[in-house]
Amino acid sequence: MDTLAPALAHPPQLTARPQLDLELRSIRKRFGDFTAIDGVSLKVEKGQFVCLLGPSGCGKTTTLRCIAGLEEPDDGDILIGGKEATKEPPWERDIAMMFQDFALFPHMTVAKQVGFGLEMLKKPKAEIKSRVAQVLASFEIAQLADRKPGSLSGGQRQRVALARAMITEPRLLLLDEPIGALDYSLRETVMLELKSLQQRTGISFIWVTHDQNEAFSLGDLVVVMNHARIEQQGSPEEILRRPATAFVASFVQGNNLFRGRVAEASEGLLKVETAVGTFLMPHLAGVVAPSGSAVSFSVRAEQITDTLGYRHLNRLSARCTAVEYFGSVRRHVFERADGEVLKYDQFGAHSARIVPGQIVELGWQAEDTVLHSGKPA
Amino acid sequence: MTIGWKKRSQITGWVLGTLTVVFLTYQWLPILTLGLLSFAGPTGGTTFPMNGTSLHWYEELWRATVMNDFKPPMWRSTALALACSATTIVLSTMAAQAMRGRFRGSSWFFYLMLLGIMAPGILVGFGFAIMMRILGVELSWNTTTFLVQVSWTLPFGFLTMLAVFNRFDTRIEEAALTLGASRLTTFRRVTLPLVLPGVIGAGLFGFSLSYDEYARSMFTTGPDATLPLAVMAQLDRQLTPEIYAIGTTTTLFSLIAVTLCTFGFWAMRRSTSLRRT
Amino acid sequence: MLGVVVVPIVLLAWVSLWGGRAFSTASPLTFDNYARFFANQTYLKLAGSTILHTAILMVVTGVLGYCIAYFLTMKVRSPGWRLALFLAFIVPFWTSTLIRAIAWVPFLGVNGVINQALMSIGATRSPIEAFLYSVTGITMAQVSLYTMMAAGPVVYMLNSIAPQLREAAMTLKATPFTVFRRVTLPLTLPGVVIGQVLVFLNVMADFATVATIGGNKHALLSNLVLLFYESSQIRAASVVAVLLMICMLVGVVIALRVVDIRRLGVER
Repeated sequence: MDTLAPALAHPPQLTARPQLDLELRSIRKRFGDFTAIDGVSLKVEKGQFVCLLGPSGCGKTTTLRCIAGLEEPDDGDILIGGKEATKEPPWERDIAMMFQDFALFPHMTVAKQVGFGLEMLKKPKAEIKSRVAQVLASFEIAQLADRKPGSLSGGQRQRVALARAMITEPRLLLLDEPIGALDYSLRETVMLELKSLQQRTGISFIWVTHDQNEAFSLGDLVVVMNHARIEQQGSPEEILRRPATAFVASFVQGNNLFRGRVAEASEGLLKVETAVGTFLMPHLAGVVAPSGSAVSFSVRAEQITDTLGYRHLNRLSARCTAVEYFGSVRRHVFERADGEVLKYDQFGAHSARIVPGQIVELGWQAEDTVLHSGKPA
Repeated sequence: MTIGWKKRSQITGWVLGTLTVVFLTYQWLPILTLGLLSFAGPTGGTTFPMNGTSLHWYEELWRATVMNDFKPPMWRSTALALACSATTIVLSTMAAQAMRGRFRGSSWFFYLMLLGIMAPGILVGFGFAIMMRILGVELSWNTTTFLVQVSWTLPFGFLTMLAVFNRFDTRIEEAALTLGASRLTTFRRVTLPLVLPGVIGAGLFGFSLSYDEYARSMFTTGPDATLPLAVMAQLDRQLTPEIYAIGTTTTLFSLIAVTLCTFGFWAMRRSTSLRRT
Repeated sequence: MLGVVVVPIVLLAWVSLWGGRAFSTASPLTFDNYARFFANQTYLKLAGSTILHTAILMVVTGVLGYCIAYFLTMKVRSPGWRLALFLAFIVPFWTSTLIRAIAWVPFLGVNGVINQALMSIGATRSPIEAFLYSVTGITMAQVSLYTMMAAGPVVYMLNSIAPQLREAAMTLKATPFTVFRRVTLPLTLPGVVIGQVLVFLNVMADFATVATIGGNKHALLSNLVLLFYESSQIRAASVVAVLLMICMLVGVVIALRVVDIRRLGVER
């Protein structure tokens, strides 16, 4: 007993472990009858780039606003930098936010706006002046210091909004669809700039978007949300290769979705019967799929092939309806026997072998099939 | 902070709300009292106690006496108001339509229109009366007063029509033109129905502003008074509940007109708005 | 338009300069009339009290109007209530200002509603005479008439501020009061000024309320014009009218400069 005491005197949570920049514990938020967030939990490590991805109405913006303090959750806890922040108002939290339309103050010059946060923190005037000059220079907008937002272009406004937010050196930067308002050509450049900014400053970014390309190219951690819940969270690679639910599989581009019933489990492989055939796939680690249960699974378009070999245990026939080109990728669109669409992506420059109207037998390896957890939608 | 920020925000809300409600009462109470007192008994004075309720004063209003006949002024006011209303509708629509074209000097035109609102009634009335005297024109309620009243109601109608036209999608008109309609037909069949709420609003402005107008009319009616002037004259002599009766009827009348029109707007908007299928 | 509004007013200026006694366009032009006006102490005091009165009213309606406007736009959540309240305020405007001014008379008199109420709850033993026929009474009535004019433009400007602006300020460490002081108020200033101008113009020109509630005991500049007119002292009347005009123009010009500065102005 005595030997246990020293161990218990330092319970595990208090040992020096890197602090989480943000932790959400089972956040719940309702607006009247509508449940915007239902039990969302998230852990963001120091200096992580997190993307909340999902369709409109999935709760991602509400989650962001709860983190900012602009909405108060009905249930659950929010911890910023390890400190309980659930009841704290926005102006006391260690955060900064970038709004979709930038929300620049129309009646203040750029210099005044950027210095606003520091003014609120009651910093001495001289310090504010020099910090503002510094930040403006680093964002390459020093020449705009005396201009007002009305006379700036979209790209310039975005930088001012960024400068304004970053100057207070927050722990978290919250971004609500920040590049949605920019011209398409500008977006790519801005995305890269923001990514490198995040890496340089070590501030955790929480970026909300409905655009997958943004999420997958920027995020260290991608959180896919749907209907007030988190469907899956993980690295972009994980989500692309191993979608956890039918929703994620269908939301993320390039997946082919199947629904069926478990026929039997054998030799480490699961046999699932669907309307278009029987397919084999690996079990999900630690999940028991009883016979007869309804499941969904997917396979990526680039893992399908039309040159079949002995390893391609999963096969089906389908009729080609279209062939599309995306740069170096040739996408064949097929119609399956059950009427659903099947996509088959081919890389490289070989000449097309398949033409619309043709019926082709396609196949893929069992290991490339991803079984989804959770009930099929 | 002893009081949480949410609580403080709520308290501010309550304070402002109470203020608002108190003011609302402040604004309405006199009118309601007026209405109530108009039903005072025959021996009732101009304030409480009422000495019973009756329609006595309304009867007095109806019954014309030499000293106290309010009917001719009422008819005159109504006629004037109708004329003003019609003129306002036509002129303000024309003016607003002209403004859409952005012709040379259109900002001057705009400011000139606004002048009617900014210039105070007494000055305009007074000056106009002098002008008429110099020109040797006789002052009469159906000519000179009509003119000055229109100068007052027109800008309001103009602003209303401007606002309506501003929200108007010109592409609808362009569509009609490309489908072969002439400009006049387009105006008649496409533009007008859509801006009808504004037109009705302008008409309403014209009517009520003219009916209640006294500052300008005061100098320009000559021997025949309009209703507000008759009321003021009576006020100078003696305040009786009969005046309350007039006040109540006028107010009720305005309220009913406004309600009808708002209803009309709402109904029209519902029928012309694009519904989501 | 020109003929009916501009010319008459300019005419007044001309008439105010007429010498002699007869009503004739051939009168010589002189400043005698003005001299006579300014020499009279009573008239000067009147002008002063008019301006003071107007200023008081501007302040009262300004503050009250802003509070109400703020409440309506910021604190009322459901659009249904907002519309209902807004209508409740606007509808009285569709009724005659004369009638509304008259409606105050039964309130303010010695036997009036206010006195009766005060006496019944025992606040005073004998009726307060100070309401009717006094500046207080006139002010009370005018506040009820004109506050909405001060509030209207403010409502418009408040509505045009996107909620994100205030939220952005909050995420930049500004407390709600600071948000109001540094963001909301500056952005609504044009509305406040416009509202004040409207109140200013209306109060200065308002003779009806003064006459109705003040009885014959009180008069402001606007009443003076009427007084002179009715006694056929055209020249004197036009002098006062011109004076009124000038005051108003000065007021409007000042207001426009303030708004302009705000609009193009810069928070340095």
